[in-house]
Amino acid sequence: MDVFFAILVTGLTNGALYALATIGLSLVWGSMGMLNMAHGAMLALGGYVAFTVAATLGLPIWLGILSAALVGAVFGAVLYLSVVRILLKSGGPGFETSVMIATVGISIALQNTILLVYGGQPLRQPFNVQGGIALAGGGVMPMLNVVIVVVSIVVMAVVGLVISRSRMGRAIRATAQNRDAALLMGVPVERTYLQVLALSGALAGVCGVLLSSVTQLSPTLGADPMLKAFIMCVVAGLGNLPGAVITAFGLALIEAGVQFGLGARWGFPVLLMLVIAILIWRPNGLFGRAQIRRM
Amino acid sequence: MTDISQDQPHRPPRKDLDPRVRLDIAVGVVFVIVAVAAPFMIDSKYLIGQLIVGLFWAAIAAQWNLLFGYAGVFSLAQMAVFAMGAYGTAMTSIYFGWTIWPAILAGAVVATVFSLLVGLACLRLQGVYVALLTFAIANVTYLLIVSDTACFRMEGTTCLQFSGGAAGFARFGDFGMRQLLRGDWILGNYAIVLAGFVLTMLVTWIIIHSPMGLAFKALRDNSSYAIARGINRFHAQLLVFGISAFFTGLIGGLYAAHFNAIGPNIFSVSTLLFIMAIAVVGGIGSFWGPVIGTIILMVADEFMRDMGQFRTLGLGLIIAVCVVALPRGIVGRLSDFIVKRRAAASAVSKE
Repeated sequence: MDVFFAILVTGLTNGALYALATIGLSLVWGSMGMLNMAHGAMLALGGYVAFTVAATLGLPIWLGILSAALVGAVFGAVLYLSVVRILLKSGGPGFETSVMIATVGISIALQNTILLVYGGQPLRQPFNVQGGIALAGGGVMPMLNVVIVVVSIVVMAVVGLVISRSRMGRAIRATAQNRDAALLMGVPVERTYLQVLALSGALAGVCGVLLSSVTQLSPTLGADPMLKAFIMCVVAGLGNLPGAVITAFGLALIEAGVQFGLGARWGFPVLLMLVIAILIWRPNGLFGRAQIRRM
Repeated sequence: MTDISQDQPHRPPRKDLDPRVRLDIAVGVVFVIVAVAAPFMIDSKYLIGQLIVGLFWAAIAAQWNLLFGYAGVFSLAQMAVFAMGAYGTAMTSIYFGWTIWPAILAGAVVATVFSLLVGLACLRLQGVYVALLTFAIANVTYLLIVSDTACFRMEGTTCLQFSGGAAGFARFGDFGMRQLLRGDWILGNYAIVLAGFVLTMLVTWIIIHSPMGLAFKALRDNSSYAIARGINRFHAQLLVFGISAFFTGLIGGLYAAHFNAIGPNIFSVSTLLFIMAIAVVGGIGSFWGPVIGTIILMVADEFMRDMGQFRTLGLGLIIAVCVVALPRGIVGRLSDFIVKRRAAASAVSKE
């Protein structure tokens, strides 16, 4: 029973974190066909910003999370203005890969800047919640994990509302469905792309703070979750938000189960095998639809 | 997107292809002459060592270029394939006691088999899906090797892992040049690596200019049209995966034999990044791009060595700036320039 609860707690916490990272990636992919390889470095950026605000400046932690989101959004906007916009204009069919290579470069540069500023030794994120909730059967769910799951779900709900209800969300969905048609209908496509990347950056910032509270702060803290978030995006079908959330929780639970059963080493390999099997069965992902491409 | 009317039915006569081939041959001959003359002009062992390393990087980048630049398969498992070649060489010579040459060949075969398995799993997908899956597979392979702690054999009192663990393998055999040439052993190694490099480049050139290469390029430019013309995308891309992996693995074996050591650090993202940077700076999809890119980045790297910790930062920025400012790399930019000049010249002569 203890093992069962341990798997459940780890799986749900990781699932919430993966889901948050996944929708940040999926949002950008769905609307502009861009795979942001710098997302992992942006998670680290968020974590370190919150650390600076809360631990170094001594301000309350909610302000730290807020400023992490803000800095993430600004970074996303700068990324759009300095790199993505130019590539979109010149890229054409090569955009998918060229933006991927460019963001890999930016990711390395950002990670290295963090390393130079804060040093490589792991730091402790001041975001922590004491206590726990006793579960039936003797298990204890730490309060921190509860907070992480709740915060992630609230953030995802807010994003869902923004996408489905707001004017900005309508513009994002219209651009994602058909860029040219949206442009003809008077949707400011460039501004929409800017908003999408800023929103994704803000999500990365919040996710980075939550993530570093369960692990530790290090410049490469985002690398592993980003890789898993990519995998989850792919399994769900790139660009599908609800599918991404379900897949994130599902795969995180499976990963936790494998890690407890076979040892931590095998968690990711087994996950990957499963993903490859799923993709051979459904090449467009579990929730993806086959795309018909015009030539 | 592309209109059929853009597809020119009247190809320029075959004669027009010749200058490019002639240019490639000329550049190749100049390269070989310079490369053969280099050790006679350079005294420093360090510099020759760096030349050898440069040949390795250029060869890996050239194979990645074949895969991505010519066939359009965006694989991020290139360093893993290279590592398979190196590990295959080290492990066959340690566990089976093979001498270095058959071991290098075995390493190349191991790399090919690994790559074909990866291809079978990934190549039903396209574009970024392939990139993500190959990236994940390379990462998992690295994690499995690094986290390997189970004792496979004992050497004295130290426990050694089957996959070499975090330390890797060392002292499994080299080219035997230390016995043969003593002090000048590095010149012997340079000759062997250069020969390997020229061989792989030659075969790659032939493949690119063969009907097979045309099929690869057709799939890259417009896979739907290529498939409609009867090319099997899966088979063709699996084939290029295998070919590129064989040569990458061969180079990996030479790498292992040159250093007489191999460790999991060659899997690292920064090495992969360096290879990608070489291809991007030089020009993806141009034959000499990787060579030019290697020269530029090795020189830049030597300069950045003094700046120590800013090296990786500089490398990352170089990649990002090059993708934005030089989408087709330096060689691509140069050939655009030459083509424009020629067009202008012929327009003038027509008048």
